[in-house]
Parts: sequence; structure tokens; C-alpha cells
Amino acid sequence: MKILIIEDEARIAKRIERMTRDFFDKDVQILLSDSVENGLHTIDQNAIDLLLLDLNLNGEDGFDVLQNVVARSFQTIIISAYTDKAITAFNYGVLDFVGKPFDENRLSQAFKRFTSPEKQPNGDLQFLAVKKGKTIKLVPIKEIRYIKGAGIYTELYLSDGRIELHDKSLESLEKLLPPTFERIHKSYILCWNEADKLVVEAGGRYNMLLKNGELLPVGRSKYKEIKHKLI
Amino acid sequence: MQTALRAFEMHFPIRYLFYLYLMYRFTFFTAFLLLLFTSCKQYTDYVKSDVTYYVDDDRPQNYLGKSEEAVFKVPIEVELIKRENNTGTLGLQVSGFGAFDVYWDGVFVGSNGQMAKFGQPEIPGTETTYYQIPEKLSNLGKHIVTVVGTQTEFREAGRGIDVKLESFLRLHRAPLIVMSFMNLMAGAFLIAAIYYFFLYINSTRKEATVLLFGIICLLFFCLLIIEYVKFYVDIPYNQFYTRLQIVGALTFALSMLVPWYFMLQFEFEKKRLFLSLLFISLIVIYICYYEHYDITAIYFSYAMCLVSLIIATNAAIRKIKGGLIVVVGLLISIVVNRYIFYDFGLFIAFTIIVLSMLYLHTIRAKAIEEAHNASLLLSSRLQLELIKKNIQPHFLRNTLTSLIDWVEESPQQGVVFIRALADEFDIMNSIAEDTLIPIKEEIELCRKHLEVMSFRKEVCYDWEEKNIDENEEIPPAIIHTIVENGITHSLPPKEGCIHFCLSFTKEKYHKEYSLLTIAKNRNRKKDGSNGTGFKYIKTRLNESYGNNWQFDSHEAEEGWVTTIKIFTKK
Repeated sequence: MKILIIEDEARIAKRIERMTRDFFDKDVQILLSDSVENGLHTIDQNAIDLLLLDLNLNGEDGFDVLQNVVARSFQTIIISAYTDKAITAFNYGVLDFVGKPFDENRLSQAFKRFTSPEKQPNGDLQFLAVKKGKTIKLVPIKEIRYIKGAGIYTELYLSDGRIELHDKSLESLEKLLPPTFERIHKSYILCWNEADKLVVEAGGRYNMLLKNGELLPVGRSKYKEIKHKLI
Repeated sequence: MQTALRAFEMHFPIRYLFYLYLMYRFTFFTAFLLLLFTSCKQYTDYVKSDVTYYVDDDRPQNYLGKSEEAVFKVPIEVELIKRENNTGTLGLQVSGFGAFDVYWDGVFVGSNGQMAKFGQPEIPGTETTYYQIPEKLSNLGKHIVTVVGTQTEFREAGRGIDVKLESFLRLHRAPLIVMSFMNLMAGAFLIAAIYYFFLYINSTRKEATVLLFGIICLLFFCLLIIEYVKFYVDIPYNQFYTRLQIVGALTFALSMLVPWYFMLQFEFEKKRLFLSLLFISLIVIYICYYEHYDITAIYFSYAMCLVSLIIATNAAIRKIKGGLIVVVGLLISIVVNRYIFYDFGLFIAFTIIVLSMLYLHTIRAKAIEEAHNASLLLSSRLQLELIKKNIQPHFLRNTLTSLIDWVEESPQQGVVFIRALADEFDIMNSIAEDTLIPIKEEIELCRKHLEVMSFRKEVCYDWEEKNIDENEEIPPAIIHTIVENGITHSLPPKEGCIHFCLSFTKEKYHKEYSLLTIAKNRNRKKDGSNGTGFKYIKTRLNESYGNNWQFDSHEAEEGWVTTIKIFTKK
């Protein structure tokens, strides 16, 4: 596992590094960066799994970086002194926001969020950032009808019929998305507001009929849970 | 022959006012004010006199003899037609140059000056004189006024002799009425002039407009006094034109100063062009109408009004406060000037203009007050900004995070860190309310900040001073801000320290602080010259030094150089 720490204060960077190493034991490779420029360069060169980002780096606004990185496949945890920016950060789709000063417990809690497969909704996500060529586009969560896994990418099916590609995996997205989204299949996350009813086909295949008439497959293991929720 | 109505047809303001006074004795003031704004053509309808008479309308001309000593004798026929009852003694007004005796039907009624007699020089009389006619001689019918005298000066002027009949009482009272109003105005302007001079002397700003306004008020006061001085000082006829020349000079000066004042007040752009155009046109008017004193003054005031109107209209278009008021004021004064004869209309017009200037001044005073309040606000905002430097989350929370780490990992070093932090807070606290602090304190603040930062960044920072004069003062935390920038924008060295060197130089006309940061610079994406830190420095420099400073920050071979130049003399 590769973790990148972007932090301009040497002492704090060391502290984060130490705590990260303690949490993940030995199977972790930690990269350190003290500026936006270096950080982005490292992200391009290495396939990282987790980014620990400070929002103010030598006077540069970390939100520029944030917009750039939330579209990527890895998860981001913000560690910042600007606790008043937490809500905005969550809106962009970060996994957690750790305010400074922090202790080991708080950081571990954030890491647990990253490691546990379960959904830990923070409910604040407003947008998903999507890469479009060189620019970043923010797709409002409200417009997403369902999400389909496509290899290491995901496809966002939007209410106006467009499809956007997202770099995060279904597993990563599941952790970020609000409770109105449900994993109904290993390749599908559905927004509950779109669901109409469950349809059982011959041969015991389950499908979800959407309000616009589309059919989505429902995983055998998920069926009971979903049926329960629909009632 | 001419009818006695001639007296009313003449637009002679004194008479006019007098008649008005007679008609509207009780509501005189209201009428006077109304007159400012209305046309006055119909006034002849209202005017009545208590004496009706005919006078020979051929003005006696060329009655002067060839020789300078020669005595002239001018008989003027008048026919007394009607006298109102109870008007008292009949009075005679004679206007003319020279020293003469006046006879009514051959009876001596008075003399004006003393005519030249056998080697005795003439004692000149004044231009207008009044005589009482004996009651027994003032019966209706034809009479002859004989003026016998000499005129040794202004013989070429060719002024005739004018006679006018009126009740003696009224002849004397009319100037008093005019004078009362004119002195009232003059007094107001004198007080205004004195007030604005005091204001100028005692103000730290020394605004040119205040002085100019004071001068205009004083000149206007002088103009009013000089214009009406004729009623209480007997000016010898050979000095008659001196008064007119003074009036002309005062009008000239006012015609220059008033537009100039408006230009300053409205921040007009082409000051020099318009002032020189105005000056040239005034000179041209002076030359073209040389010795036509009244006409010259009227044209002066026209030129003044025109230029002022251009300036005020320009200001009104640029939406400058007060511009429209001045335009309206000027238009009113033009209307007044158009319908009322010069020496009266001009004064009313001037009064309106000066009033609008006064109004402008109050607007200005309000603006200054607001600016003062804004500066108070600014200085408290700067105080706040200074205090915020240490409690802003980025500084405080990052410092605390590092501090926790130091305490957890090496408590002894942590204590040193806490001490340095406490010292920095102490200094910040002690300087927070000052606008200038001793340079020593500023340096101490920088040193403590570097100590704190070295704990946080784990970078070695080195401080050096060159040629610092301990008696110098500097706005608080400006070098501190440059140091902060230096820390932020320097790459940590692989070995050794980031080096800060503050040097001071003092020249004859300026002193200069220069902070050199020796380190490799980070790539700066944004132009650093407009960051909040620099804004703080510039606002602080403005607060203490006005515009007499220069701030410069640029990359150098060794790292980064920031210089603050403060000019001691302009």
C-alpha cells in the first residue's frame, strides 16, 4: 500500500508518518511531499492508495489540489488547521477531515474509515469530481441515478441521460456516497429515489425496475436486504 | 424736454431699492428675496416719487472754458410740476466733476469743494452732492439751477452735470437703506474670510481650497466696501476713477479665483489650460473696454460665470457631489445678473456663487470627517490584523500540533519551544496598539518567530543585522511579515541554514531597510506583490508615512531581497 503525505511542516509530517506507520504496520510505503507541486508530481509518478493532504501549503490554497485529486481513484483524508473548511472538503468527496492539532486516536479513526469495507456515510457529499480531459468537472450527487462498475473505473448514469466516467472504484465510492445510495449488485450502486420495484425473472434472477423503465440486476446475496428495505 | 419719468427709467439700483422699500416697507425682506429669482422688468409700474419735474434734457456739454483756470457757469432749467403733500423740504442732487457753487434761482444753496481763485489751487469737490432748497423758493413752476465752478482735472472726460429733485429726506435716506443691506453682506463675508483664514492656519492639512475660499470672501468683502464707500467718504472728483479701478481689479481677481476654486474643489483636469484661457480673455476684455469700468466688470463676471459653469457642468456629469448645486447656483446668478443692473445684480450673483461654494465646503468637510473615521477604522483593523497573525488557525493549530509532537517526543525541547512561543506572543501583545515601534522590538519579534518556526519546520534559521540604528522606529510587524514570507517561500536547505540579513542605511533624504533571505526559492505561481502580507505592509507604511515610501520585493542571486525605503524629505 502506498500512502502520500502532503504537509509543509516537517515536524507535523514526521508525526503523521510515524502514526501512519504504527497503524498500518510494515506493509505500507510512505511518500512525503512538502509542496503542491511536488505532491502532484508524486501522484502522477506513483499509483497511491491514500492521500493525506494539508489544505494550506506554503501559502498556496490546498483546495486547488483537492479539486484535482478527488477525481482520482485513491481516497483522500484532509489533515488541516482550517477546521471551518471541513464541510466544504466533505462536499468535494473526501473520506475524512482531521483537524489540527490531532492525536493518534483521531488519525486511527480516519484510517479505520479507509480500511473498513463498510459504508461510513458522512452525508455531506454534494459532488463527485470527474476528470474531463485536463479539467475537473463537478457532478452533483442529486443528478446521479445509478453507478455501474467498469473494471477499475465506474460509470455514473445521470438523470439527463449522460454517462460520466469516474476514476474511483465502486468500493471507494460506496464509502463516500450518502445513505440514499445502495449497493444492489457487485457492479451496481443505485440511488433509492430511482427504484420502483423488484422483479423476479424465471430462473431466479432478480432485477430492479427503475422509474424510467430500466432494469438493473440485483445480487443474490443482496436480494433479501433490498426486499426488506423496499417494504 | 424730458419728463420726470426719466428718474425711473434709469436702471439705477439704489433708487430702485429705495422705491421698493417705500412700497413694501413691511414685507421688504421677502420682496428682496423674491427679487433674486424673478425678472424685475415691471418695476417702473410701482415706482412713485414725491416730486414730479421736467429738466432740460440737453446735458450741458462743453461748458468748460479753454483755459484751465476758467470758471464755468452752467444754467439748468427745471420745472417743478407737482409735489406730494408732507414731503418736507425739497432736495437737489447734483452729479458732476469739479469744485462749484450751486444756486437755485440765483440763491446760493451750497458749494462742493472750493474753486480755484487767483493763485489758490482748486479744492476738488466730490461727484454727487445734495442741497437743501429753501421752502419759500420751492414752489411749483420754472426754476433755474446754476452751477458755477472750476474743473482743473479730467477736463477731457466730458462728463456733464446732472440734477435731480427729490425730497431732501429721501435723498439722504436712500443710500442708508442700500448700505444697510450691503454692509450686512459685507460683514458676513468678512466673518467667513476670518474664519477660513483661522481654519487654514490651524489645520494640519493646509488645504489650498480653504485658503482660496478665505481670500475670495475677503476680496468680496473689499469689493462691497469699496463699491459703497462713496456714500460715506467724500471722494474728491479727481479720485473718482481710482475707486472704479479698485473695483475693476477686485472683480478681475475674483473672476480668476472663483473658477480656480471650483477647479480645485471638483478636481478638474485641465486646470492650467482653462486658467490661462480665462486669464487671457480677462486681459482682452480689460484692453477692449479700457476705461469703461462698469462694462468691463460685467464682462469679467460673464467670463467667470462661463468658465465656472463649464467646470461645474463637467463635475455634474462626472457625478461629483455638489456639482449640480453649483450649476443651479450659477444659472440663477446668471439670470439675476441678466435682469438686474450691474452693481447690484453682480453682488447678488456673487453672493449666490459664494453660497454654493460654502455649501461645497461643507460637503468637503463632511468628506474629511468620513475619511478621518475611515482612518480610525483602518488603524483598528490593522491592530486586529496584527493580533490575528498569531491566533489565525494556520499559525496556531500548526504550532500546537508541532508542540504536541515535541512534548510527546522530547519534552525538554518542547519546553524551549513553549518559551519561544510565549515570548513571541508577549512581544506581539505589547506592540499591538502602536503604529510605530522601536526597531529593536521588531527584530526581537522576528528572532522569536524564527525560533518558533525552527521548531515547527525543523529547519535552521539564521538571523543577522547590519548597521541597525536602535533609535529608529518602524511600523509593527512589517519586517516580521517579510520574514514569514521568506520562510514560506524558501526551500529548506539540504545542509546548513536559511539565512536572514537585515541591513539599514540612512541617506540624506531617505532611510532604507533591506532584508535579504539567502535560500533557494520555491516556484511561485502567483505574483507575490499583492498577497495579504504585502497589503498589510503597504497599509502600515501608508498609515505612518503617507506616500513617502517605496516597497520592493524581488528575486536576487542569493535568494530574495525586500527593501523598504522611507523618504524623510520630499
